Amino acid sequence: MSAAFTVPLFLRGEVITDDLVSFGTRAGGSEFQAPDMSKYVERLPLASPMQMSDLYDVGFEEILDVLEAVGDALVFETNTHLQEAYEAALLANPLPAAMLKNSYRILQPLFARANVLEVADSQVGLDYLNGWVPQRLADGRELRVRAFGSRVLHIPAGNGGLVSAVTILRSVIARCDTIIKAPSNDPLTAIAIARTLADVAPDHPITKHLVVGYWKGGDLSVEENLYQPQHIEKIVAWGGLASVKHVTRYIQPGLELIALDPKRSATIIGAEAFEDEATMRDVAGRAAVDIGVANQEGCANARVIYVMSGTDAAGIANANRLGEMIYQALIALPEFISTPPLHPSRELFEHLEASRMADDWYHVIGGEHREGAIVVSQFDSAVDYSAMLSGRVANIVPVDTLDKVTAAVNAYTQTIGIYPESLKRQLRDQLPLFGAQRLTTLGYACNVAIAMPQDAIEPIRRMCKWIVDEECDPAVVIPLWRLGAAPTGPDADLAQV
Amino acid sequence: MSLTEQSAPSVKDFMDDPIGFFGESLTQMHSIPRTELEALQRKAMSIRFQQHRDSIEMLRKLADRLGITEVNDLNDVVPLFFSHTAFKSYPAALIDNKRFDLMTKWLDKLTSHDLSGVDTRGCNGIDEWIDRLDEQTPLEVITSSGTTGTLSILPKDKHGAREGMVLWKICLFQTFGVEPTAEQLNPAVEVIWPNYASGKLGHLRIANMIKGGFTGGDESKFHALYSDSIDTDLMFLASKMRAAASRGELDRLVIDPVLAARKDEFIAMQMRQPEELDVFFTEISEKLRGKRVFMIGTYNLMYDVAKAGLERGITGVFAEDSVILTGGGAKGFVLPDGYMDIIRDFLGVDRIQEGYGFSEQSAFHFACTEGRYHVQPWVIPFVLDPETSQPLPRTGRQTGRAAVYDVLLKAHWGGVISGDEVTIDWDLVCPCGQTSVAFEHDIIRYSEKQGVEDDRITCAATHEVHNEAVNFMKEFES
Repeated sequence: MSAAFTVPLFLRGEVITDDLVSFGTRAGGSEFQAPDMSKYVERLPLASPMQMSDLYDVGFEEILDVLEAVGDALVFETNTHLQEAYEAALLANPLPAAMLKNSYRILQPLFARANVLEVADSQVGLDYLNGWVPQRLADGRELRVRAFGSRVLHIPAGNGGLVSAVTILRSVIARCDTIIKAPSNDPLTAIAIARTLADVAPDHPITKHLVVGYWKGGDLSVEENLYQPQHIEKIVAWGGLASVKHVTRYIQPGLELIALDPKRSATIIGAEAFEDEATMRDVAGRAAVDIGVANQEGCANARVIYVMSGTDAAGIANANRLGEMIYQALIALPEFISTPPLHPSRELFEHLEASRMADDWYHVIGGEHREGAIVVSQFDSAVDYSAMLSGRVANIVPVDTLDKVTAAVNAYTQTIGIYPESLKRQLRDQLPLFGAQRLTTLGYACNVAIAMPQDAIEPIRRMCKWIVDEECDPAVVIPLWRLGAAPTGPDADLAQV
Repeated sequence: MSLTEQSAPSVKDFMDDPIGFFGESLTQMHSIPRTELEALQRKAMSIRFQQHRDSIEMLRKLADRLGITEVNDLNDVVPLFFSHTAFKSYPAALIDNKRFDLMTKWLDKLTSHDLSGVDTRGCNGIDEWIDRLDEQTPLEVITSSGTTGTLSILPKDKHGAREGMVLWKICLFQTFGVEPTAEQLNPAVEVIWPNYASGKLGHLRIANMIKGGFTGGDESKFHALYSDSIDTDLMFLASKMRAAASRGELDRLVIDPVLAARKDEFIAMQMRQPEELDVFFTEISEKLRGKRVFMIGTYNLMYDVAKAGLERGITGVFAEDSVILTGGGAKGFVLPDGYMDIIRDFLGVDRIQEGYGFSEQSAFHFACTEGRYHVQPWVIPFVLDPETSQPLPRTGRQTGRAAVYDVLLKAHWGGVISGDEVTIDWDLVCPCGQTSVAFEHDIIRYSEKQGVEDDRITCAATHEVHNEAVNFMKEFES
């Protein structure tokens, strides 16, 4: 099989396509080629941390200028790098064409000046990024704190180009030295953005602190060389349980893991949804979007939908009717948001067919052509295969009380889409105790902003090194040597510490 | 008498009493000309479908939904095939909540037998429920466990079990091309059972069947590795554990108090096992050395026993004409090169028979001298497109997903799709002399092929899984 495309190595502004070896894609079928990384691994990290100093000669205004220029150049119709990335994703990614193309259209606003400023200021603080922020402590010492960039390796997820773009944006804001391992299911988007950066800002420090390349996850000849504290300080790992687990073997003092690990999301719909026909339709439309966006490939998508309809006959009937409405709204979604999945899970649809036959317990709506489906449980438990839900298949679970819902929230729960707002306020102090990380308005589960915490952490703050400069005037801050001279004093024990 | 009148009773015999139809002869079973067999199969399939459409609610509903009222051509039956999920479509919550009345109602829709009169009052667990079904109905249910936290429950019946045992005898003890002797029809050998003595899991039910059937009725000739029974409720817990772990919910897992109360019993059973292993080998090497035996186990089980035996210095332990059956694929276990030689060295038996099948069917398909698994005449094999499940042509060499329609099955619907990739060379006349269609020797699970982490709990791993659940219980202060 001949290689369908090439994933070059973007090495600090240089584009390398030598020493090619072949790899398979996740979607199967096609192969691509990339430089044999074991031949380049020694050139990936900075030779010396001192080489990061040039990033501090760059003012934040200049960073904003460069990012804005990158954004302006990320226009799909004219940017050949993006077009190549799209062609590659068509072969490597399970998402249909219209959706992939659409994912490139949201890149430009991401790099817009106002957006970058909002992310930088709210997620780190411009003062901390650009200088030493003074603070006086109660004991009299003068602190100055600054956020320094670190040497970071990123292992982003490949479901849509946004993850690669956000990775680069966050790194540039934090003045990091950045190495990105391109995901095999979106192999060229990060490269495309890097090459666009090199086009608009050749030889710029930002360009020189970016590396993007591909090697197979688990390739010890690369990992054991590179994943060392003398080369990188942090690893940002997205994605599947197995890949995050795999990375943990390299974690040691001096090398930290920032895990954006696999998550699942849930949905809670209050009894208010059934007030009238129009409300039900509105709720169904919102739930359909939460299920359908990018064909339910993401962790934020709705999967199990708890409905406070009650479990008496009238409640079940309401849940079934809502299920029908959600199904209708789901299959009516425009194709840039959602389509029948290209690679539906056979195992899941086998379970679905079995549920269809077990109609005392489950009411299955649609799914006969694997276009997506809604399974309405006819009692208050989720289907036993809930962990497999994907490709636009969701499970509606009618419940009588909220404790059924909290029982289903755990450490793997990311987003919970809730209707109405009053129910969200009622739940927001309890759900986080069980593990929920983000509560949002129904219909916005996959409408994710960058200027906010992610997975219950603040990734950009974590990517920074928080450095302290203390100034202690012995006249103000009592020095230890003076305590040492007076061993009978009440603070004598402190001096021993 | 017209031809149709004449052939009608023979179809009836073929599908309802194949043992009689083929005169208890392996040779006759696999010598019937293909066109003649296919005509019989087609008629039998058509009749059985009508019977099952009337008596099995889930099949009727599926057929109604698909608008299928009759099946005439072989491929007509394919849309009606069940996948393994059909036999675990009940909500696991029913077992947690001990609603065995509702479990019975669910199972009633999967079997041709009437379960409406079953009394499940006071049932405290799965094994108890299955005992009730054993006592009150013609069923002899078998179970198997999986990853979604549920057990498959197959409504097999006692008639099928008895029939299956005779068919096994025919296939194992006879040689193709030679008509059976009286001794082959009623063998009385020592039975080596390197497993738990009993249980409701598919492969453990077999123990009960061959205990009397292969020993000439002398049950003292049955030698199990472990004297205890595998507890289905404990296997259910293991299954739930794995599912909960994958969902990050292990902390929410509740152990049924009835099961938890038996914790000490399970731990004691676990503690007994090393000792029982020693006793097993002592018995084999001292009492059974040189005797003709029947022994059955999956490849990895056979290998483990052989290795443990060789480590104890036991070699060539049984008579050369012993009957040894293995199969089941490697099922996630990596066996070293030459593992079959290690098994042969220990057993002292050159000819080791291999079988292929899955629990939804009535019997195994046995490998011939050429290594092909010849399909039993009452089973209609299909090779399907692995993704779309459309039948591939019944000509030439075809590789795809195995599916079968088993006309012999009475208690449950006989059309099932497997998870296995198989190859059939439809035009091949096998040099072994059998006329029957055959699966080529290399069979692999699709999940293994795709490198998917397949943590299905299979019969090959029973011992490990059982221990996993006991260890989990140990950590719980009950």
